Amino acid sequence: MQLSVRIAKRLSKSFSLEAEFDAPAGFAMLLGPSGAGKTTLLNCIAGLLRPDAGRIALGERVLFDSASRTNLPVQERKLGYLFQNLALFPHLTIAQNVKYGISHLPAEQRSERMTAMLESFRIAHLVDRKPSEISGGERQRAALARSLVTNPTMLLLDEPLLALDVVTKAKIVDDLRIWNAEHAIPIVYVTHSPQEAYALGERVVVLDAGRVVGRGMPNEVLAAPRHETIAQIVGFENVFDVTVKSVSESQGTMLCQMDGSLTEIDVPLGHVEIGERVRIAIRAGDIIAATERPQHLSARNNFAARIVSIRREGPRVILLIEAGVTFEVHVTPRACDELGLAEGSPVWLVIKSYSCHLVAPRE
Amino acid sequence: MTRVVKNRSAPAFGLIAALVLALLAANPVQAGAGEITIAAASDLTFAFKDLTARVHKQTGNSVKLSYGSSGNFFSQIQSGAPYDLFFSADIDYPKKLEGAELTEPGTLYEYATGKLVLWVPTASKLDLKRGLAVLTEPSIRKIAIANPQHAPYGRATVAAMEHAGIYDQVKQKLVLGENISQAAQFVESGNADHGVLALSLAVAPAMKEKGRYVEVPSEDYPAIIQAAVILKSSHEKETAQAFLKFIKTPASLALMAQYGFTILNQIAGEQNHESAPN
Amino acid sequence: MMDWSAIFLTLRLALVVCALLLIIGMPIASWLSFSKWRYKFFVESIVALPLVLPPTVLGFYVLVAMGSQSPFGRWYQSISGHAMPFTFTGLVIASVIYSLPFAVQPMTAAFGQVDRNLINASSTLGASRLRTFIRIVLPLSLGGVVTGVVLSFAHTLGEFGVVLMVGGNIPGVTQTVSIAIYDHVQALDYAGANHMALLLLAFSFITLSITYSLNRRAGIFYRPYRDSALRPEVGFAKTRRH
Repeated sequence: MQLSVRIAKRLSKSFSLEAEFDAPAGFAMLLGPSGAGKTTLLNCIAGLLRPDAGRIALGERVLFDSASRTNLPVQERKLGYLFQNLALFPHLTIAQNVKYGISHLPAEQRSERMTAMLESFRIAHLVDRKPSEISGGERQRAALARSLVTNPTMLLLDEPLLALDVVTKAKIVDDLRIWNAEHAIPIVYVTHSPQEAYALGERVVVLDAGRVVGRGMPNEVLAAPRHETIAQIVGFENVFDVTVKSVSESQGTMLCQMDGSLTEIDVPLGHVEIGERVRIAIRAGDIIAATERPQHLSARNNFAARIVSIRREGPRVILLIEAGVTFEVHVTPRACDELGLAEGSPVWLVIKSYSCHLVAPRE
Repeated sequence: MTRVVKNRSAPAFGLIAALVLALLAANPVQAGAGEITIAAASDLTFAFKDLTARVHKQTGNSVKLSYGSSGNFFSQIQSGAPYDLFFSADIDYPKKLEGAELTEPGTLYEYATGKLVLWVPTASKLDLKRGLAVLTEPSIRKIAIANPQHAPYGRATVAAMEHAGIYDQVKQKLVLGENISQAAQFVESGNADHGVLALSLAVAPAMKEKGRYVEVPSEDYPAIIQAAVILKSSHEKETAQAFLKFIKTPASLALMAQYGFTILNQIAGEQNHESAPN
Repeated sequence: MMDWSAIFLTLRLALVVCALLLIIGMPIASWLSFSKWRYKFFVESIVALPLVLPPTVLGFYVLVAMGSQSPFGRWYQSISGHAMPFTFTGLVIASVIYSLPFAVQPMTAAFGQVDRNLINASSTLGASRLRTFIRIVLPLSLGGVVTGVVLSFAHTLGEFGVVLMVGGNIPGVTQTVSIAIYDHVQALDYAGANHMALLLLAFSFITLSITYSLNRRAGIFYRPYRDSALRPEVGFAKTRRH
């Protein structure tokens, strides 16, 4: 069962959503900064919002199609939707909440299904409690149980685990994974955390300003960002505009001059012409700082530089280093101490060509 | 902690619907047999209280009274108000209703004429012998009269004031009661210091205690001819007839006279009018 | 001296009116709070009109509309055999119109405060709009509905101008307590007026007290989550209750 989405929805004069992606059974992570249109996209899929044009289908079942004027009402889309605030009915008990979506079943069957569901999410003991009387993690489980007890054909999650700690979250996700091993439905999971996307996702769709800017397997999309938004989301602290000076087809690299300085940097070859401007992204943790001029290294880029500032942030040290342009470099506290790094002291920067990622600039 | 709310809404809706139906069906609107509703000019307030008690005692019929200004009743009856009998303070209204065929033919009955009095509170030192002219005294702030637009006593009052040549001088001091009974209430409560009222109200015990009065000479204003008529829409015409008959008995007329009405009928033949009662 | 027929009539009028307002008011209120129609303010203004209109204006038009000159009045007369003004039915219709905002406005406000996600959640769980309304919206806005009913009940009890214009002053048919008081005062029967007035005063005070105390309890009733951990704005760093 695969969810295919291709829709356009204009929300205001300045914002419109145009998105296309497929999500087979399993986790599809919808990643993007706030305001990217993630919840809008989810609401279109759910049928809470009507797209202006496009098509949404789940396997053979067409949920929305502007061409054939199909628009299944929410009630008939057979989906589970976990809202950001969970939307558990505050005046009903957990049992009543979970039974809410299966009221068409006979009472006995309803109780059976409810109990089984609560047991598989380990909250069977909470049946008679109200949502206000249980913990945050328990509420997430209750809300999941309420959505899944209806045997939905897909599940939409709108950052539902935002407020939970990592351990609680991992346990819930594990239970959800176990459940989905049997049911195999597409689970569209909205998040703005790349860690979460890495950890959970079988697929990632990156959304920015209403457009899909990247999609694929997490390691492909996130490790080699081809878009500035992805670069920023995933934590590429260094993003530079550069101009292509020369191209070496045999080496698979090209030499670029960084804007605002004479510094030249060797980066992987892209589909660009000489003289064209491109954008590159480099993780702060991928840059090496050395107190002596490095020798016998495979890395192609070695810059003489000077430390501008040193700032400790938890278990890491953030260095701002000036080499024509300013790089952000992350090192461990021990490395910092043993090298005797200090503000104003000269250093060498070492950057592998393959640590430089070409990204498409944000429109 | 919170309380469980079960889905009891559906039965609740049924309950409400049933309640509405029951209340609409349990209908005390239709008066029972032998019960009539009378629209009575408010100068009859005290006289009719007495009179209807006697009717009930003697005939077992009960009478519901609605007091107000005759003009207001006139327009209500035109719009279909469900009265059985109309006692107007001014014969013009029943006559107009008769013309519009809203009355039972041949039932129009002139029973009395009303009298105007000038009323002052006990404490007032004004010389009532001067008649309406005393109202020009600067110490007088407010004079209660009935609204001349739809109360016959109000019209008579304005005519009498014009006759005395004081209307323009006192116009600013007039306080208009919706009907003559409200004008009486204004002076009785002290909200107005003086008033031109119906004699039938001034003689009532509640008013007698609080002030004194003098009759306005009846030649100074057009006669306030009181007339009753049975309405065509009445479902209790026989009871209404019986009530009219009761009014015409000497005992009833004597009672009316006690309340300050001048009786014009067969007995007091010398005061007969051209349009004699039938 | 208590005028029991006026008291009974008034209670009956108020009960019928507030029951009708419950039935008419809830659909209007739910439409007003959920509709996205751009000219909704038009309907809102019409509903609120009786709040600012003098009772005489309303009474006048209701009287005209019910009279034998109007198609509606003629239609009613042809099916019922008598004219509508100065009848109990006429009084009910006029009072329903006059008390409409007192029922609809608290209900609209209460419906509007129900978290939209709860309504959406109910839809995604397959519930029809009616089921969502009855099982989710209504229980969560019970305070507003009760307030609306009680206010319209109390308002109908105390209504004067419209009742006088449309109902006249017919004992046992349209003479309500407030009109009976007016009548007693005109007949200089202050003791009678005082008895009735005290009754109305006490009753109004008790009704309002009950409403306000209900609303206070309702305030606790609707708070969906005690701790703030679930509010989306709160980040990971915040601790939760376990």
